Amino acid sequence: MRPELLTLALIVGAFTYAFRFLPTRADLTRLGERGPLSRFLSSTGPAAISTLFTASIFPSLSGTWAANAPVFAGIIAVLATTWASRSVVLSALAGSAAYGVFIAVLT
Amino acid sequence: MQNAQALNPPPPTFAHGMLAALPIMLGYFPIAFAFGIAATGQGLSGVEAFALSLIIYAGASQFLALALFIGGAPLLVSAATLIAMNIRHVLYGPALIKQAGPQAARRWAWAWAFGLTDEVFGAALGQLARGRSFSEPFMLGLCLGAYASWLGGTALGAYAGAGALAGFPAIEAALGFMLPALFLALLLSILSRAHLPVIAVSVGVTITLSAMWSGTAGILGGMIAGALAGVLIKRGAE
Repeated sequence: MRPELLTLALIVGAFTYAFRFLPTRADLTRLGERGPLSRFLSSTGPAAISTLFTASIFPSLSGTWAANAPVFAGIIAVLATTWASRSVVLSALAGSAAYGVFIAVLT
Repeated sequence: MQNAQALNPPPPTFAHGMLAALPIMLGYFPIAFAFGIAATGQGLSGVEAFALSLIIYAGASQFLALALFIGGAPLLVSAATLIAMNIRHVLYGPALIKQAGPQAARRWAWAWAFGLTDEVFGAALGQLARGRSFSEPFMLGLCLGAYASWLGGTALGAYAGAGALAGFPAIEAALGFMLPALFLALLLSILSRAHLPVIAVSVGVTITLSAMWSGTAGILGGMIAGALAGVLIKRGAE
């Protein structure tokens, strides 16, 4: 392995690990339920997941309704399966399958 | 006794964590597979491609690392860019522990936090929102399942080389949609009326910054703006 690539991987890997691990050591016992930091952390989950969903789907969207049909089919399948089963696993699989079927039909 | 067990169900196990990792594994595998193909297609050896997944373990960063390295960018510039991309992970540990409660064990956090990716964070939060208690064996199972899938996908992609899924465009597309579908399913699993303003702000800021600046700025800005909206909206409601 080339040393410069290994060095890059080790630097980035070390920082990424530090970002993930070190904040778990933070003492949160003194945070009041109604304090601003407590509310910030409570909102981080929905904010992060909705952001990641938007960022992951944004490149798939294009100008026409027809071109976006597979994306809409995938979203509808996730919504319907969540409503019917409340299962994250089944919903993700159903959304992915619906998207693939629409791609197969349209191509 | 039965009532007591119903009120205090046993903490989720390592196997429960592996099971919860299933959609993440299905989503990660094709992306890691694509990374393995891209890395070897651009001149990295199979070992180098695998090492990037093994050490960095952050999807978008790895693709960008590949582009920066192949493009000849200086080491420190590349490192700083990639570190900035991953800084959002700082929020995940405290947010998860906050949701798990002050008694949440963190003895093995040094191990499971390595795998605290976007999707693992979302899945763990979804489990807590559905009433499951926090447990470190569950977190280890969840993280290990996702990590194994990422490594397996990279190795197979590097081995298969370019064009491995070229004859199966629908399967390739379906696998590529697995992560957006997973994020939406996770979002629905934690959704409540109180979260709607937070989600609206996050989505709006993400779209605006992604369109006007970059995807990385969109992700970081969307998360922070949504969380800040949660602070301001709840303060206004008091």
